[in-house]
Amino acid sequence: MKILLTTKGTEWDSKMDPRFGRTEFFFIYDEETEKIDIYDNRSIANEAHGAGPKTAQIMSEYNINVLITGNGPGGNAGAVVSQMGIKVFVGAGEMTVKEAFDAYKNGDLRET
Amino acid sequence: MKEIVIISGKGGTGKTSITASFAYLGGKNIVVADCDVDAADMHLLMQPDLEISEDFYSGLLAEIDQEKCIKCGKCAEVCRWDAIPVIDNKYVVQPLDCEGCGYCALVCPTDAISMNEQNVGKWFISNIKTKTKMVHAKLGVGADNSGKLVAKVKNEAKALAEKGGKNIVIVDGSPGVGCPVVSSLSGASYVVLVTEPSVSGIHDLKRVYELVKKFGIKAGCIINKADINNNKTNRIKQFLEDEKIDFIASIPYDENFTKAMTMGKTIVEFNDGKIKQILEKSWEKIKKI
Repeated sequence: MKILLTTKGTEWDSKMDPRFGRTEFFFIYDEETEKIDIYDNRSIANEAHGAGPKTAQIMSEYNINVLITGNGPGGNAGAVVSQMGIKVFVGAGEMTVKEAFDAYKNGDLRET
Repeated sequence: MKEIVIISGKGGTGKTSITASFAYLGGKNIVVADCDVDAADMHLLMQPDLEISEDFYSGLLAEIDQEKCIKCGKCAEVCRWDAIPVIDNKYVVQPLDCEGCGYCALVCPTDAISMNEQNVGKWFISNIKTKTKMVHAKLGVGADNSGKLVAKVKNEAKALAEKGGKNIVIVDGSPGVGCPVVSSLSGASYVVLVTEPSVSGIHDLKRVYELVKKFGIKAGCIINKADINNNKTNRIKQFLEDEKIDFIASIPYDENFTKAMTMGKTIVEFNDGKIKQILEKSWEKIKKI
């Protein structure tokens, strides 16, 4: 499983970013290889409109299976995400990256 | 830290009056963010001092360098918005018509057109009368609110709350269901929907709730002016039950809302009566969520 978490930093103890479209980073964890990949999405703050679809487009290049975030994605980005067959888990907005990952593994996050 | 966003879908339901009342009741323990930037009016009730003020840039505007322009007219030809008329024998971009798409700059054979970031307004951090901070913004003429501006206002408010050790940010969300509302909802912990028992009130409540549902955020609802149409109030209550939305309170129609507003006060400062009690109880419920 390749898992993408929306985060405010690049470490396991960084905070989650509760937002999908305007998330600061992607923290991508590949369970098979145990490798972490980071994408810096902070330039999204310059986008006046359409942040969700733009972030979804970038995400599409990573071939992920699972998205963990706080809430969202909204309507437009949500359509893109479901087209890609990605499972979305929400409710991790207040956690650290590690806590969010553990909560997902324990089945404590709600799937949308 | 909790981020409580108040939205209405429809304008005129009393969203800002109610948000300002919660801001007043929350006092110095909260930070206020006014993200209803198209028609910001929370400042009328909170008396901000505009302590910090910064320019805000958003969107692009085409500009033609007349020295380089060979008057071929290709820019005007491709402009979907007819934003480049000929004035005094010169091609001139009309700022209010230009959407910033950049097609003109792309086709210009002499690179005479540049796309520049627009200064669309200002954003502020203010001290307000409840001895706390408010983040808000003011747009220039013809400028529109955006997800970018809402995200900026919310981020600043959250940073202030974190710095000041305050555990609640109250966000006055924008109307409608467009980009600014999406940005208001993104990252919210709880949404308060303010509605009224009218055809458009119900219609817009349902429409905006569709969006809230997509975000998977827990929501509660306040029915303002509930006694002006009991039949429709009952329909709203049924909708809340069907959708498992918390019913927070019904508020009767009261002209003191307007009287308080004209005096620059929130309704909870103006009147000691029933409305104040309802709002106090509502705030107690909301802040525990």
